[in-house]
Amino acid sequence: MRGTVVYVGQRLILIAVTTALVSSIVFVLLHQIPGNAFLNETRQSPEALAAALRHYGLDRPLPAQYLDWVRGVLRGNLGESLVNRGVQITPLLIRETSVSATVGLFALLVTVGLGLLLGVIAALRQNTWVDYVASSTAVVGYSIPSFVIAIFGLLIFGHYFYIWTQGTVYYDPGWGDWTQVPVPAVALGLPYASYVARLTRASMLETIRNDYVRTAWAKGLSARIVVLRHALRNALIPVVTILGPLITGIITGSVVIENIFGIPGLGKEFVTSILARDYNIVIGVFTFYAALVGLANLTVDVIYPLLDPRIRY
Amino acid sequence: MAIVRRRRTLAPEPSREEGDGYRGGDAFLLASSSRDAKEVTLGRTYVFRSLAIAVGALSLAAACGGGTGTQSEQLATDQTLSFPMVDDIGDIDPALEQAAVDVNLFRNVFSGLYKFDDQLNEVPDIAEGMPNLSSDGLTYTFKLKQNVKFSNGDPVKADDFIYSWNRAARLQGTYATVFQPVAGYDDVAAGKATQMTGLKKIDDFSFSATLVAPAGYWFTEVALWTAWVVDKKVVESVGDSKWWIDPATIIGTGQFKMTARTPKQSADFESVPNWWGGSTGTLKKVHIEIVADQKAQLTKYESNGYSLIGFANQSLTPEDVIRYNSDPQLKKQLTLQPAARTNWIGYNFCEGKGQPVKACTTSSVFAGDAGKPGREALSLAVDRDQLVDIACSKGTACVKATGGVITKGLKGYLGDNTDPWAKFDPSRAKQLYQQWDPTGSKVKNLVYTYNATAQNKAVCDNLASQWKQNLGISVQCASQDRASFFNARNVCGYPIFRHSWGADYDHPQDWFDFLFLSDAGSSGSCYSNPQVDQMSKEANAQPLDKSLDTYKAMNKILVDNCVTGNLFYGVQQYLVHAYVKGAGGNPLYDNYWSDLKILQH
Repeated sequence: MRGTVVYVGQRLILIAVTTALVSSIVFVLLHQIPGNAFLNETRQSPEALAAALRHYGLDRPLPAQYLDWVRGVLRGNLGESLVNRGVQITPLLIRETSVSATVGLFALLVTVGLGLLLGVIAALRQNTWVDYVASSTAVVGYSIPSFVIAIFGLLIFGHYFYIWTQGTVYYDPGWGDWTQVPVPAVALGLPYASYVARLTRASMLETIRNDYVRTAWAKGLSARIVVLRHALRNALIPVVTILGPLITGIITGSVVIENIFGIPGLGKEFVTSILARDYNIVIGVFTFYAALVGLANLTVDVIYPLLDPRIRY
Repeated sequence: MAIVRRRRTLAPEPSREEGDGYRGGDAFLLASSSRDAKEVTLGRTYVFRSLAIAVGALSLAAACGGGTGTQSEQLATDQTLSFPMVDDIGDIDPALEQAAVDVNLFRNVFSGLYKFDDQLNEVPDIAEGMPNLSSDGLTYTFKLKQNVKFSNGDPVKADDFIYSWNRAARLQGTYATVFQPVAGYDDVAAGKATQMTGLKKIDDFSFSATLVAPAGYWFTEVALWTAWVVDKKVVESVGDSKWWIDPATIIGTGQFKMTARTPKQSADFESVPNWWGGSTGTLKKVHIEIVADQKAQLTKYESNGYSLIGFANQSLTPEDVIRYNSDPQLKKQLTLQPAARTNWIGYNFCEGKGQPVKACTTSSVFAGDAGKPGREALSLAVDRDQLVDIACSKGTACVKATGGVITKGLKGYLGDNTDPWAKFDPSRAKQLYQQWDPTGSKVKNLVYTYNATAQNKAVCDNLASQWKQNLGISVQCASQDRASFFNARNVCGYPIFRHSWGADYDHPQDWFDFLFLSDAGSSGSCYSNPQVDQMSKEANAQPLDKSLDTYKAMNKILVDNCVTGNLFYGVQQYLVHAYVKGAGGNPLYDNYWSDLKILQH
């Protein structure tokens, strides 16, 4: 236990350093791009441009801007949006992260739940029609990109369901209601569920052939106990291994999904802030993403010892 | 705008002759003689008539449920207008607003001395009538209505206007130059003063503005958003840069006020109770959602999640607008409103370093009289019908430009088919081109640059294709992100490029001063013509009714010299459900929210 605590502490420091490094690199790179967020084709006078740059401190030398930014970050203040004046970035990104996390968590449940279910069933019914159906479903699932699933989801559940049910049961794009979570979450999680299904099947097939599982069957234990307590726990280790990159994939995949479904999350912000050259938000988004990916991978590492007591830090 | 509320009236109670009912009752009981039979018949008639009247009255009562209104326009109980926007509000502070999206929203929350009505006529808003202008054309005296109040009940006084205008000049938003003609503006803009010396309070409800030189266009600019009034008391107590962050302190004089805002997600407005101007119309609430994807917007619109799409300069995807425009039933929901924007081919007029304007670094093959045949050839070689069909969703997103650079419908427009270079004449184009560039050296490696949008790409691809087909020249298309494109274009960095201008107000000065005078800030072409400069100086000093012909003559000079290869004028698309009445707009603005109402559906 003590070792795990020390390990987690070290990783947290590493995450902080990595996040700071990523943010700094992005900060410098963004400021090298010619032009700024205020150039437009309207009647902007040099004085107006100068006033805008002065308000945001963009008229100062780059090192001074960087120090201002670092001081702000240490106080938890990521600054103000350059395009949507007055919008404070820290509360904005916290709120958008919670939105993305809600969708992401549901997507993860779809990924892990559906993936494990399909994988276990396929493994237990190997070489039967159940196995073939489950495996084919998985292949189809990871062959179709999430944005295609999203567009079909929008069309079927948003448009056609409205017509078929005469406006009583349908998906309403946007955000504000729990009913707006499942469709985008499934679109986001389904391709990854297919990966998990395939991996679980392979891992289960290997695990259930082990002597200790055969012994459990021979002892007359119920299928539920054999599968869940004896076989699945070990079969999950490879699945947990990919959970880190999988969560990263869900995080980055949310960029497309949130834009398609009109969800005001971090992914949507990522796209709009880059296109608008809203430097402050871009840096903030990269900072949040770096931290999220680091924490996701740390979470996976912490789960390992729970599954396999032989693993110790 | 006053709305006459019609009281619901039922059909009047049928006047019953005395004894009718009793006689009818008797008739049913005593139908044994001819007299009785007649009475029976009369009685039956009475009963049927009464039943018919009763049924009619009941039907009328049922039909009239849910709100006031005439029998054919029953209002919905929920008078909430909802619509989407692709991106969030940029600026709320009138002194800093610049985007048409923000102006379209907040002209319902703030107001000023004057406003533009639906026909773009400048009419008094908070001002009491038109201003008095001194004989030298320098001093405008404004009188305010005395009953005007902010949404928090504070009275509006001359001090608030003087404060608001000085503040706008000091903050130097993009449109602070609205006050440039006012004496003392330069010092305030430079930070040397906080008050424009030209603004003087006369009494609580009147003040004057003195200009440094006559500027006939300035009165039009006074109706712009930069000149909207803000509550001095609120701004000073909450903070100059904070008062517009919390909806509770966004205080204006408009018919609506903001009640909630979740940045990058939604914004809500409600009508102002006891608004100083009387009725705020039928709508009670407005709900706006930020949805980046146009398909998601349309899906929600089609499931009645939105009242309309198109307010705040939103548009549909090309395939969706074509779908709606092609279907006779769906087309009823679509309105295509000419919008005050022109797109054209921009040419570089540089003749060498610092010539004819200081931003020039090299010489361009399209410059001056020597480059005129090339400009004409490129323009004549473009079939604008084809261009509009391909690049503008079969003419639903734009219409071809044939009357000069000022958009059709605005003052200064020259008239349909008055631009000789907008006619498609490939044989003449080829002849001109071959005389101008017989060896092909002038257009070798020519690149047409544009800021990256789907429409701009489609335009460039079509132009390149037509030039290849009609002139035999290869022009490459290069896209840039918006900021980099403007950065380079503003210093005349491209030989030919995409250019466009959306009018800020209906006055030709808005076009010439920023685009076609020497050293014009948004030129992109470094065009310089001393004759146009002089004509502009004279026209700007006069009121529009005296200067319009001069502006038109300037426009004609641009056309005659093919300074711009005018391609198309913009179109604003509105998709509106049948139960939403009053939605739409004029070339510059959406209709005020107070013009709208939601019917039962």
